[in-house]
Amino acid sequence: MFTKQLVAMALFISFCYTNAQDCDLVLKGKIVDFHDSQPLELAQIYVVQLQKTYTSTGDGSYLIPDLCPGIYELSVSHFDCEIKKVSIEIVANKTLNIALEHHVNDLEQVKVIADVHDNHASTQSSTRINKETIQTYSGATLGDALSTVAGVSSLKTGNSVVKPIVHGLYGSRVAIVNDGLRQQDQEWGIEHAPNIDVNTASSIQVIKGASALRYGGDAIGGTILIEPSRIISKDTLNGHVILQGQTNGRGGTATTTVNNYRQSGWYQQATLTYKKLGDYDAPNYVLSNTGSETAAANLALGFKKFEYGASLKYSFYNTEIGILRASHIGNASDLVRSINSGEPTVINDFTHDIDVPKQEVAHHGIQLNAYKRFTGLGKLSLDYSFQFNNRKEFDIRRGDNAGRASLDIDLQTQNVSLYGLIDRFEKTTYEVGINYMNQVNSPDSSTGVRRLIPDYNANKAGAFASVTHLPSENWILDAGLRYDYYKIDADKFYLQSRWEDLGYDQQFPEFEVNEQGNQILTNPQFDYNLFAFTAGAKYLFDDHYDLAINLSTANRAPNPSELFSDGLHHALATIELGRLDLKKEQSFKINTTLHGNVGKLDFEINPYINLINDYVQLVPTGLETTTRGAFPVYQYEQIDARLYGIDASATYDFWIKKRSTEMNTTSNELVYNAVKLISFNTNFSYIHGTDSNSDVPLIDMPPAQWQNQLTWHDALVKNLDFKLSNQLVFQQNRFPDNNYEVSIPNDQGELITSTVDISSTPDSYNLWNAGLSYAFAKANTKINLTVNNLFNTKYRNYLNRQRFYADDVGRDIQLQILYNF
Amino acid sequence: MKNSIQILAAVALLSIASCSDDDDVTIINEEELITTVELELTNQADATNVALFKSVDSDGDGPNAPVITITGAVNANATYDGTVRFLNESIAPSENITEEVIEEADEHEVFYISTLSDVSIAKIDVDSNGNPLGVQTTFQTGAIGTGVLNVVLRHEPTKPNDNTLSGAGGESDVEVAFTFEVE
Repeated sequence: MFTKQLVAMALFISFCYTNAQDCDLVLKGKIVDFHDSQPLELAQIYVVQLQKTYTSTGDGSYLIPDLCPGIYELSVSHFDCEIKKVSIEIVANKTLNIALEHHVNDLEQVKVIADVHDNHASTQSSTRINKETIQTYSGATLGDALSTVAGVSSLKTGNSVVKPIVHGLYGSRVAIVNDGLRQQDQEWGIEHAPNIDVNTASSIQVIKGASALRYGGDAIGGTILIEPSRIISKDTLNGHVILQGQTNGRGGTATTTVNNYRQSGWYQQATLTYKKLGDYDAPNYVLSNTGSETAAANLALGFKKFEYGASLKYSFYNTEIGILRASHIGNASDLVRSINSGEPTVINDFTHDIDVPKQEVAHHGIQLNAYKRFTGLGKLSLDYSFQFNNRKEFDIRRGDNAGRASLDIDLQTQNVSLYGLIDRFEKTTYEVGINYMNQVNSPDSSTGVRRLIPDYNANKAGAFASVTHLPSENWILDAGLRYDYYKIDADKFYLQSRWEDLGYDQQFPEFEVNEQGNQILTNPQFDYNLFAFTAGAKYLFDDHYDLAINLSTANRAPNPSELFSDGLHHALATIELGRLDLKKEQSFKINTTLHGNVGKLDFEINPYINLINDYVQLVPTGLETTTRGAFPVYQYEQIDARLYGIDASATYDFWIKKRSTEMNTTSNELVYNAVKLISFNTNFSYIHGTDSNSDVPLIDMPPAQWQNQLTWHDALVKNLDFKLSNQLVFQQNRFPDNNYEVSIPNDQGELITSTVDISSTPDSYNLWNAGLSYAFAKANTKINLTVNNLFNTKYRNYLNRQRFYADDVGRDIQLQILYNF
Repeated sequence: MKNSIQILAAVALLSIASCSDDDDVTIINEEELITTVELELTNQADATNVALFKSVDSDGDGPNAPVITITGAVNANATYDGTVRFLNESIAPSENITEEVIEEADEHEVFYISTLSDVSIAKIDVDSNGNPLGVQTTFQTGAIGTGVLNVVLRHEPTKPNDNTLSGAGGESDVEVAFTFEVE
């Protein structure tokens, strides 16, 4: 009753003073428990626009003074409760009581995540992809979902193999951490996509630098943290089912997540996903043999209390991916023929069948975790994980070998880590950790094709420490240090001619074991000392801006592909050679992030520079002739690289006011609620990468990109959203000239010297997408209808390895039904 | 609860220990590698007139280039029976890959393209669909001259085709150019 009187008063006041422009308005109220209305002490009220946090007192009351009239977003949290977000318009002094649902039971979760530009308590440049966005990608890949982030693009092989590129770097320069477990799935390969089901993620955080030291210091490009849904401590069963179908590929995905939580602390989580797609269509033809089939399961069993807990998790991911038939070629003549014809050399009728060439990948992960909290100190967490990754690649073979894998590699990785968090001090948080990794790589010797990557055994032991210090309300300072010792011991057969041609018989005679026929068995062993250091500062200005600068320096040891590659690469008709004398890479990166939240506008600008000494890259070194014809030879070399760029993103929301009675909400008894009418989101990224020794551009640098999205909320009817977006990708004008000349017989038998143009970049393109989404049944059910590549635009993507053979995919109409329970 | 976790941990560790692989590393010899291409031309009118065009690349994808040797002479205005052989001589005993090509004749075709317009080359063998294969040929020579003879083996070409390299498509498994002298 008291509340009603207050509301009446507030109404009265707001009517009297609607024109007040002085910044002396006060918002006050009480924070109470939803269940028993008990006042909650020490609840945190974070005001997004002020970037300030207020705390409730012993009787649950709070007071936010000195407010200017305007729309504010509050994010209210309490260590026992779920975060609640509230938007209000303040035109006069106002009282607002807020009820919080009381069932989350972990201090770590009390991070006020108010917008995508978190983490507010860190200086690193990071962006979060929320659950709603992830769910719209239920039928796509992890890489597709990640490319919504400014500064993240994708390196593709067709449309099913999608690798994330962070600030121009990919592969072993980007760490993917799936639920605390560093993914080890042969990520050194350009055609190897992360073996993770995007549907297991509840949120994804992209850290654009080497500052996530807990998970390794060698991620000089960035770290991608995939986080599952939070554990809640009350008796409840929740989850969702998503069904998705698409016209391009004529298939779809079904996925479901079920979470069972008990008040006692026990919980079970399960996510199951199945996806089946046939051949994709380019605007003018079928992309033959580009179908895929994926099945994934994630199961978790755990016990979670505030003081202690443990969990056991198992994840499984199995996929079969067809590789565009026309991209499997025999030699440079075939490549020239394909580039000149501008059309795939093989176009068959649509099919759901997957033929060779194809990949079959299986990934299993087992994770054990236990933690204990110590009063007045912090938390200690012990993790053990085992990952098994099997990759098979099938080529077009003849005779008895048809249907046999050309590559069949088992990779087993075990990890043990101990992590300590000391959070007893009010202004300073310490983190320390040690970990040990053992990895065994065993290629199958019955493939009848010489091993691309040899047998090896690798060990890594590391330790890190980091500190975050908040000296005042306006400053955040953090720093960290990590050291890893990495040793790799391989057994590799070289062709004797290759071993000698590369001069290894002189340089590494100690590795030679014995000669067998025209091959030589060698035992290369290398060790690396890897250091990483990061430091940063963030200043929160009083007037809605914050500025952060983060410096990180890190070492990365060369990966097995860079050391040991040796042989013919069928998609590009190149011979790729590793290099045994590679040193570690050293990166120095400075990230600056300016973030502002001014009224309806939220923006972030992130310029960065990354100087990498001894950057490992493939460079052409000559031409070799075989019975198959001529091939260019590429070898890994080290150069000094200079990368710099800028990411910029902004969101502008147009709001309208609605009375709470109109909105049928009674929760907070607001005089007015602010309702989003139209949101406009834009992001732009540009990167400039150069070999600073020779001043030649780096290969495969993402071209400048500009994405825009307009959302009309509650269009025509309530809960119907209309979306229109476009993606403008500019032509990459900076690329190294790796073209080569080769003699190719023409139809008259004359050997014609032809230039093989593998360097030129595709034209710029602009793709439009449109969609409708309608939510009903208390917003628990949602239907999304989306048209991607609305105008069936014909284009080729510089970062798609199949651009030499075929156009990219054409129009795709997708229907998605989402049900939350 | 602690017990169950210990058991699970033990099971996991055991399962891991059992998968580890300490086998000796065995050598892999490339099974489908074609190291050697031999084209043998026998004069229909004189069985002692045999020309052999041979290209040997013993290290396959290795750095050494193929070694080409040509023995015997091709006479002008004569008809020759041609036979091509594809061998893998990197393994012992060597493997005759021509047999696989003949077994999968519908997925293969050998192309002979000569710059000498006076030389006409006919494929006399066919696959199960009646399309040319090209392991067995007839070479009809004309006037004296020197040119280039390209021997190209295509895997999964378009069949039938117009007997040109550009029209046939497929993947090149062999592409060798011989100096072709008609004396």
